[in-house]
Amino acid sequence: MRIFGPNELKADVQDKGLCVGCGACVNLCPYFKNHQGKTVMLFPCTLEKGRCHAYCPKTEVDYTELSQARWKRPYDASPLGTHDGVVMARAGEGRVEGRVQAGGTVSALTAFALREGMIEEAVLTNREGLVPVPQMVGDETGIYGCATSKYTAAPTLSEVNRAAREGIRNVGVVATPCQATALALMRENPLDREDFVDPVSLVIGLFCTWALDTRKLIPFLESRVDVSRIQWMDIPPPPAEVFVLDLGNEEIQIPLDEIRALVPRGCLLCPDMTSEWADVSVGVLEGEPEWNTLIVRTEKGRALVDKAVEAGSIVVKEMPAANLEHLRTAALNKKKRAVARAREENLLNNTDEGERAAFRMDPSVVEELTGS
Amino acid sequence: MSHLLTDEPGSRILLMGNEAIARGALEAGVNVAAGYPGTPSSEIIETLSKVARDRGLYVEWSANEKVAMEVAAAASFAGLRSLCVMKQNGVNVGSDFLLHLGLTGTRGGMVLVPCDDPGALSSINEGESRQFARLLELPLLEPGDFQELKDMIVWAFQLSEEIRNLVFVRSVTRLSHASGNVVLGPLPGETRKARFKHRGFILDEMEGVVASMPMEYRHRRQQEKLKQAVERFESSPFNTYTGPEHPELVVITSSACHLYSREAIHLLGVEDRVGLLKLGTTFPLPPVFMEKHLGLTDRFLVVEEVIPFLEENVKILAQELAPRIGPKTIMGKRDGRLPTVGELNPDLVVEALASLVEVPYESAPEAYVKRGQELMFFGAPNRELTFCPGCPHRASFWSIHNALELDGRDGFVCGDIGCYTLAVLPTGFSTLKTLHAMGSGTGVASGFGKLGRFGMDQPVVSVCGDSTFFHAAMPALINAIHHGSDITMVVLDNSGTAMTGFQPHPGLDVDALGHKAPAISIEDVCRSLGAQVRVCDPFDLETTQATLLELLDRAGVKVLILRQICGLSPEKKRHKKYEVAVNPEVCLGEACGCNRLCTRIFRCPGLIWDKRAGKARVDEVICTGCGVCASICPEGAIEKVENREVTG
Ligand SMILES: Cc1cc2nc3c(=O)[nH]c(=O)nc-3n(C[C@H](O)[C@H](O)[C@H](O)COP(=O)(O)OP(=O)(O)OC[C@H]3O[C@@H](n4cnc5c(N)ncnc54)[C@H](O)[C@@H]3O)c2cc1C
Ligand code: SF4
Ligand code: SF4
Ligand code: SF4
Ligand code: SF4
Repeated sequence: MRIFGPNELKADVQDKGLCVGCGACVNLCPYFKNHQGKTVMLFPCTLEKGRCHAYCPKTEVDYTELSQARWKRPYDASPLGTHDGVVMARAGEGRVEGRVQAGGTVSALTAFALREGMIEEAVLTNREGLVPVPQMVGDETGIYGCATSKYTAAPTLSEVNRAAREGIRNVGVVATPCQATALALMRENPLDREDFVDPVSLVIGLFCTWALDTRKLIPFLESRVDVSRIQWMDIPPPPAEVFVLDLGNEEIQIPLDEIRALVPRGCLLCPDMTSEWADVSVGVLEGEPEWNTLIVRTEKGRALVDKAVEAGSIVVKEMPAANLEHLRTAALNKKKRAVARAREENLLNNTDEGERAAFRMDPSVVEELTGS
Repeated sequence: MSHLLTDEPGSRILLMGNEAIARGALEAGVNVAAGYPGTPSSEIIETLSKVARDRGLYVEWSANEKVAMEVAAAASFAGLRSLCVMKQNGVNVGSDFLLHLGLTGTRGGMVLVPCDDPGALSSINEGESRQFARLLELPLLEPGDFQELKDMIVWAFQLSEEIRNLVFVRSVTRLSHASGNVVLGPLPGETRKARFKHRGFILDEMEGVVASMPMEYRHRRQQEKLKQAVERFESSPFNTYTGPEHPELVVITSSACHLYSREAIHLLGVEDRVGLLKLGTTFPLPPVFMEKHLGLTDRFLVVEEVIPFLEENVKILAQELAPRIGPKTIMGKRDGRLPTVGELNPDLVVEALASLVEVPYESAPEAYVKRGQELMFFGAPNRELTFCPGCPHRASFWSIHNALELDGRDGFVCGDIGCYTLAVLPTGFSTLKTLHAMGSGTGVASGFGKLGRFGMDQPVVSVCGDSTFFHAAMPALINAIHHGSDITMVVLDNSGTAMTGFQPHPGLDVDALGHKAPAISIEDVCRSLGAQVRVCDPFDLETTQATLLELLDRAGVKVLILRQICGLSPEKKRHKKYEVAVNPEVCLGEACGCNRLCTRIFRCPGLIWDKRAGKARVDEVICTGCGVCASICPEGAIEKVENREVTG
């Protein structure tokens, strides 16, 4: 892994508009802060190597190395990443408090992990108005208070950094794919610090095709609706092609084409749709709005899911073959788009002196993904 | 009793230049003095306020220079003698009034003392007030030493009453702020009675209406008065020639430059070849006196600060006199022999003179000169200009800077003149982006705040001090509110005119004489004008920053008052609120996670970097105990303990 410092982070990620505000560089030090979804550098820091750069999922992510470290095998760009099963899932009957996004699997699993003592705290994402705000919660009320998707890129990981500084351990995190990537990088202790302690004991990943820029979404929606009335939002799976806003007594649909301009550029370089570095990953399920897709990846993830099923916290069913095929295609397409774009922007596998890459993959993998 | 009241005519005492001016005013029997604080002029009003009770004077720090002129003029209209004092650019502020005052004329003697600051030793400009004398057609005197500072004030009052118009007496930093021996004159016994007479014939200058109309008549009268002044200048004791009867060259000079010129002639040892014409009455120049001395030789070097004011006036006169005295070569600034920016010094004069009289002279080596320039720029060796330890401005600009960065819309701050001007430099995190006259920050911001329709989406912030608020920022604020401009005005209220030494202003409950006075509340003024107003303690960084972020998001005119007494104020100097220390066990130093935020970025002089230990440290001698750095340290390594004992 090539690690640089804050100046490179600012130049390569923030100044190029590739930052997705994940929060991995925030709260490590006094320099990087996130305000209303945007990460900024308050003052220059002169260090040549920093955790900020090392943790950022948008610069110098070496998928080969990361895969070796985490899965003990090379990165092969398989559509859904390393996993141990895909099922359809939802929260057990009567287990949901208040509104969830789809099947409520994420909240149910989080609550179960907390109850079972697998985690002591959960770092989730709430919202104030339309601004996503990280929140550390320690009970079910807190978990359900953070349920439902905020489609804006969120600085969730800043709260993980804060927890780590304060000596909090055994944290569960619900993370989008870029956040899960940053967590994977973070957990490798890339700077070999002696004082490093991994505060995270469980990562529940979310699927994500892209998120929206908070600073752009707010004025966009403010010019169309009374944003204080928004109770829930959704991007139903294809072929819907709409952004849905539930205003309580009416539902508004905005064509996705109008929304796409609000996607941060960094999302277009993201090759991961299913949070490949998480313990389990959860998304929606085509045609079944009350269910989720659930991918189990690690032993820990397997234990969590099995126990949760046993306890009735979640219900699982076999995944229909057609859905699985669609999921693979969608995930593979995201990889192809990201690699093509990275290459186009000269941000892939750069080796020249002074040139840096957004991410690195084995040339054979690149070849497979680009067909050249 | 103040030494200024020594009533022993003929005795010699050591006075600071500004005290000599004050003494001159006392000897002239001044009744009213008004001014606005500004270095290098402030001590004049301060000195007079101390003896005000003894001498039965009325002294005030006015809200701004224009008001000070108006207050002093009123005294003159009522037949009293009045003095008006300010720094160079103060004359600009009041010049509109002076334009009219020149036309209406004065009654009791009125003298205006602008203290110029060549080289901008304590200013952000080196503007010349001398130009105003020419522009406004009023007589100008320039004292050349400490004795003259006093004597010319007395003389100026007499002149003012003879011609019934305002007289300028221009001082400069090097005279106002240095000290010298002065032979005292008598202090007058009786004081005048004030009465404004206004029932006389309209054109009666002593009893009629005081107005600039009819314009043509008044303007002609003003020019007649100026001619009258010139007649008096012909025999003025303040214009002197020293040197040989047939000099090869004559140096023409005024003010502090007269001292440099004399030293230069001496250093070169050319007393028998070069004459020195020292002028005290520099506008208008007395033609008969000048003809006599321009006739002494053919070559002249004019030595003055800053721009070639005297040089041009001499050239005009020489041209007019040419048919009688022949062509003259007049050198100085226009031919590049002497610089037209910055202060002069004996060395510069020696250099210019040496080539003219062909005396070899080893001037200072280049490296020395370069170092000197660096020192001029940075103030002192290896020390940058910085806010004092415990200065509330550092905390305020920390929050303003951070709020603007977090806001992330490329916002900026428009500022003006005060200690906070330093915020253009790293000590204020380079937060100030425009910098002009008093109150201009808010005026400029008011303009920026209307450019939304042209696509400007940057947040606009202005800053001004509490004194500046009353001085000139209020009209700008009113303008912004009336025109629906989108700005956030931050009033840096350190409760006094700190930069110039804690003179009171209308926001405080005390006046120049130390009497209780009604304080004008800045927040009440802003609220009643219709601004959204918040007040914070800048030492509470978190609240200040959150408040700013909230205000930046709102439309319209918002005012944030950041109130915290200046760290150097007498009440604070006595008491350290916190004992502050760095816990070396916790301090991260240069490691990732801090990288010396306190000594590299925040940089209060009370914090020092212990290179050997790789840790930060607090210098207890310098630290004022404000405790702010404890809230910036990301590790909580800076610990503060509240001091229990309270003095006062
Ligand atoms: C930005 C974004 C894009 C997504 N895109 C897709 C997609 O393309 N395809 C797909 O199948 N699924 C997508 N999802 C996932 C989907 O919306 C649901 O979150 C997921 O199916 C889980 O549903 P649930 O009912 O179990 O969630 P819930 O039980 O309601 O729990 C939702 C969880 O998501 C977390 N969360 C909410 N917003 C964010 C955020 N911005 N960042 C991090 N965590 C957040 C909350 O903390 C909460 O724990 C996306 C989610 C997000 C946040
Ligand atoms: S190198 Fe460390 S201290 Fe510097 S900005 Fe990055 S995280 Fe902060
Ligand atoms: S993507 Fe995340 S880690 Fe990278 S710069 Fe942005 S907020 Fe920081
Ligand atoms: S800011 Fe705190 S941790 Fe950093 S150098 Fe200063 S005292 Fe040490
Ligand atoms: S407490 Fe800290 S910021 Fe305040 S004066 Fe002392 S060293 Fe400076």
